[in-house]
Amino acid sequence: MGVEHVNSILVADLGSVHTRLALIDLVEGQYRLIASARSRTTAEPPLGRASLGLDRAAQRMSELIGRRIVDEHGDGLFLMPESEGHGVDAFLATGSAGRPMRVFLVGLTPELSLASGARVLASSFITVTGMLCPDDLRPEEAQINALLGGEPDVILITGGTDKGADDILLALLGRVARALSLIRRGTMPVVLFAGNQALRAHVKALFSPYTTVFTARNVRPTLDEEQLVPAQIELALVYDEFRTRSPGGFEAVGRSSQVGVVPTVQGTISTVRYLSALPSPGIGPLCVDVGSANSFLVAGVHGQPHHVVRTDLGVGHSFPAALQAVTVSRLRRWLPAEVGEDALWDYACNKQLRPATIPATLEELLIEQALAREIVRALVSSARPDWGQGDGQVLPPFGPLIGAGAILTEAPHPGVAAMLLLDALQPVGLADLRLDPHNLIAALGVVAYLKPVATVQALEAGGLVELGTAFCPLGRVKVGRKAMSVEIRQPGEQIIRHTVRGGELWLAPLTAGTRVEVVVRLGRGLSIDGRRRIKRRLVAGAAGLIFDARGRPLALPRGAERARRLTAWLKAAMGGRLPEAAPVADDAELRPAPQDLAAPDSDARLAVLVGSSAWDEEEADALLP
Amino acid sequence: MPYYPETTVIKGLARVTRERRLPPGVVHRRTTVGPGAQVSAVTVVLQGDALRAYRILDVARALRLRKAGPQQVADLITVAPDRRVRLGQELAARGRGKRAQTLLSPVDGEVVSVDDGQIIIQASERAVEVLARIPGEVESVENDIVRISGVSAVMQCAWGNGRFFFGGYQFLPEAGFAALRTLDPTISPYRAKMIISPLPIERADLLLAQRQDAAGVVAPSMSASLREFALGLTFPVILTEGFGRRQPTALIYRLLQSNIGRQAAFDAATPDHWRWERPEIVLPLPAGGTFPETPSLTRALTVGASVRLTRAPWDGILAEVVALPPTPQALDNGLRVPCARVRLPNNREVLVPLANLELLG
Repeated sequence: MGVEHVNSILVADLGSVHTRLALIDLVEGQYRLIASARSRTTAEPPLGRASLGLDRAAQRMSELIGRRIVDEHGDGLFLMPESEGHGVDAFLATGSAGRPMRVFLVGLTPELSLASGARVLASSFITVTGMLCPDDLRPEEAQINALLGGEPDVILITGGTDKGADDILLALLGRVARALSLIRRGTMPVVLFAGNQALRAHVKALFSPYTTVFTARNVRPTLDEEQLVPAQIELALVYDEFRTRSPGGFEAVGRSSQVGVVPTVQGTISTVRYLSALPSPGIGPLCVDVGSANSFLVAGVHGQPHHVVRTDLGVGHSFPAALQAVTVSRLRRWLPAEVGEDALWDYACNKQLRPATIPATLEELLIEQALAREIVRALVSSARPDWGQGDGQVLPPFGPLIGAGAILTEAPHPGVAAMLLLDALQPVGLADLRLDPHNLIAALGVVAYLKPVATVQALEAGGLVELGTAFCPLGRVKVGRKAMSVEIRQPGEQIIRHTVRGGELWLAPLTAGTRVEVVVRLGRGLSIDGRRRIKRRLVAGAAGLIFDARGRPLALPRGAERARRLTAWLKAAMGGRLPEAAPVADDAELRPAPQDLAAPDSDARLAVLVGSSAWDEEEADALLP
Repeated sequence: MPYYPETTVIKGLARVTRERRLPPGVVHRRTTVGPGAQVSAVTVVLQGDALRAYRILDVARALRLRKAGPQQVADLITVAPDRRVRLGQELAARGRGKRAQTLLSPVDGEVVSVDDGQIIIQASERAVEVLARIPGEVESVENDIVRISGVSAVMQCAWGNGRFFFGGYQFLPEAGFAALRTLDPTISPYRAKMIISPLPIERADLLLAQRQDAAGVVAPSMSASLREFALGLTFPVILTEGFGRRQPTALIYRLLQSNIGRQAAFDAATPDHWRWERPEIVLPLPAGGTFPETPSLTRALTVGASVRLTRAPWDGILAEVVALPPTPQALDNGLRVPCARVRLPNNREVLVPLANLELLG
């Protein structure tokens, strides 16, 4: 079917916990998000079949919109093309589920080709097993063991400018080929070459006897120029092939998708590129996705997407690794009540065992939200050097700021989602906060491969949840002192006047979509864009309008003050109502007594034996720690 | 719209089918059983090699040949590619008698390359053997995957330290591990038996079990800080619930109580979301002419279903689903999520997020 006839596009995202489906269709000449649905991802053992969860999500969507989507009798997953109001014209898939792809990186210089190679890898879910360059002083034996010992799925080779000298790179290629020639059993890594284009034919001839060779345009065609996109696209193809070979039944999904299974972050990069081209008051959009196993951040800096992917940061599968990375002490800064280190590790390990479960008590929810904040902060720290913007502590003026991942999009209240984004990103000035509950950003990115107009129109038609604009003045505040005088005028309603004091967060109670005129006068030491009086016409979001008088950089309180202030912020974010404490289970009634689960009657003789003192108790005590 | 929760199999009698594969990084050497073979829990079904580092040996340097040409060096090499060599085996030799120079293999391994005056050997670390881990019949052998099925009681658990034991078990007395301090290990009833503890365990308990020459420990939970310690133990440690001070799932302990005296396979597989093994206790039972069903893992949640609650404050409690509200419900912590209304053992009805309950297979 020609692309020009494609009207309805179904996009799946196979996450580690959830499989999400979004249906984009033409309505009155414009592409829009029609429906979304989700189900549990079923790629993990014992089911090991990603298509099962996809089918369940599709059934759910069919019930919602009264349109048959699933191909119940044919060979494919979905009814295609659309006919008589049923089926869809195209199916596309993104994914982040599964083990990250292991990549060994080869390049000529750490500052140029290896750095560019690392940036290419940041566009996918990757674990880098090692690097090799001509400066490597290890003996050949150690180099070969470093290359093969990590059992890479892919070897990415970069290096050389397109008209540059090739002798050093040739020697390096020879070393890699020699290493591959030694593999007799086990998995042979594929080779992706994105270096000196004059060597493409040589690379194919050298490696083809051993493995599959992918080639992409040089990441460094000249010393001054860096082009990552072609290599990133080729890497997406490699990822698709890797996913197809991996357990989890991705092959069936990839076969049905017109683009295979594209890494979710690739889709997001593609959309951020489009969003960057739209007029915006900031330097570009910033999208952060906190997942169960992986998290990533994509920022558009003056039209150029920059991204960072961390396969060790997540609030489910990767909870223990994330806790290790962000540290217990940093996480605790966001908890109003003291939680012991052991209790946090217990929580982390239990969450890893059952990553799909959700916090049922406030205490548990606060732990997960605290980790989400620190994950975002870690992503910002990793990404910041590439932006070339800001002064180190303050976030550059990105806009909009988009949050994805269930921990953000399914917060108890839109105000809480806004607060989590503000705490984690700490923007300055006027911040446009949004959520992506349907994973539309990643979905529309792959739609752009097929039908760019659909991406543009669906983005314009909404689909993201607008949380509202946050006023975040720069400067330090004194707690309790008058920081912001706010005046909100809305047609036909009384003027809302409110004073926000230093250290406070205030959400103006406005109905989403209300057009208002806002005047804010800032206290001493605070400014927005260098001014102390701001007047704006704005539309209230799901969280109304947000006034953050906590100062920038945000100084977190300590001790007893921490409990008081964090609770006050949470209360403000919840619209003035704090969640209740968890009910206490009456264990005595609900659970059998431990002795009922101890030695059964037939085993009672043991109790007699246990009474003997045949063993030297002092000796036993000495064994104990 | 149906919801499909996770299923944990805790069943008194079921047809159990398990796939056995080589661990990651191990290459296949031999499959030792064929379809239809009867296996015990400790039958080796797969053999493989965990291959180690490569060793590059410069023949000319080892034989002190300064001016020899490539062909001259090649003529002195006495091994060929693909040949297995043992530590100390001659690889190349020059001269005879007292003045002879020899190059000996520094490792057990396999010659992978003889080229350009170099011999490259891949050291073989160790042979890896995969056990059946459940008694039964080999159903099929395909792509180095051996599928075995048998009739057993099955209790799937939460965590294990990677060890395995097949044999008998003993429950702790009411006094718990403290009572074991006074036992003589040489005549201890816990010697070579798995210790079943209904209470969370601590480091001292594991040390006591070790001192008693116990075969391993089953307990509801332990502190996550003990993970590394437990992974270093040579006997299996199985946690039925998880980490921290978790309450036991009574059904698991009752099943073990009712089968006391029998032997069981205690598979303390360390859970990995992308591997097929899950820690479990499999208790072989006589089928008695019956053909129990294989537990289904793809059932939708329905009213009346028996479920296990997996999160605080009711973790480990078995309950019955009494209603499935069609819209998301507000929890006490403010989250609005799809929920089930369940009846607890004390007849109290509570809302529980669908994500926090498991079907019992």
